[in-house]
Amino acid sequence: MTINKFPPLDPVIHSQVRLAVLSVLIGVKEADFNYLKKVTETTDGNLSTHLSKLEEAGYMTIKKSFKGKKPVTTCSITEKGKRAFARYLEALKDYLPPASNQETKE
Amino acid sequence: MDEHELKEEIRLIKDMVEKTRKTTAESGAVFIFWGFVIIAAIIGTYALIYFSQPRWIWINWIAFMALGFIFSAIHSSRRDKTEKAKTYAQINFEYLCKGCAIVFVLMGLVFPMLNIYSYEVIPILMATIGGLLLFVTGVIYELSFLKWCGGLWWVGALAMIPIPGDYRSLAFIPLLIVGYLVPGFIFNSRYRKNRPANDNQ
Repeated sequence: MTINKFPPLDPVIHSQVRLAVLSVLIGVKEADFNYLKKVTETTDGNLSTHLSKLEEAGYMTIKKSFKGKKPVTTCSITEKGKRAFARYLEALKDYLPPASNQETKE
Repeated sequence: MDEHELKEEIRLIKDMVEKTRKTTAESGAVFIFWGFVIIAAIIGTYALIYFSQPRWIWINWIAFMALGFIFSAIHSSRRDKTEKAKTYAQINFEYLCKGCAIVFVLMGLVFPMLNIYSYEVIPILMATIGGLLLFVTGVIYELSFLKWCGGLWWVGALAMIPIPGDYRSLAFIPLLIVGYLVPGFIFNSRYRKNRPANDNQ
């Protein structure tokens, strides 16, 4: 069944990896690159590309620092990102047919 | 976008949220260490009473508390260096621990030393605050067993009232084992179970 009566979803978030990253970041104050790589099960290069897209959209910030001598890349979601994610979830609910919508709430 | 793709997206969000929720970087090490420190301090107190050296009791407590705080500080600093993600739950838990530590020191050491109240009520007050610490920790991490442990501490505080003052600290030991060390070990086992998500690469 194809659903096309609703406006398109936010194209910045509408990607498996970027959606996964924002779903993680919404629940944490910050997360480092390796942690995101592990939970989203992606590669370094792939994740970097998606993180850059989210950063360009202003949905997250990337901070590079050092813990001792080790370089660390820390990511956190911005207020704009939180609002966009909430809008995306609302839009997803609208896309679901009534029966599935009820199932998701449960 | 078809319905299957839509459901996949919802499943992905749920998976990620669940994985993050399970990343309980709290290892329980501080719980376990403090449990043993307090048991050692109580045994030390009774040893000093037995050997008729009551004037050393406060020193005994200050020394053990200092040991506990040094361990907590080292543990916290090491964790900050290795932590991969900081959840809001962890931040709340950290502040709860810091707040309770200050209350423990004020109500367990400073106020009785200033003769604001008798040392005999210390175990009752400590059990009450300990209950609060465990109950709120259970709420923060959504762990029912910790909420029940918090309740157990409050029941323990009430149960200590009829016990003669000098023996109240002894009643504290079983409470510490059941209501503090056991949850500490459960915390630790959960941490080990979820460790692949917490580990460094």
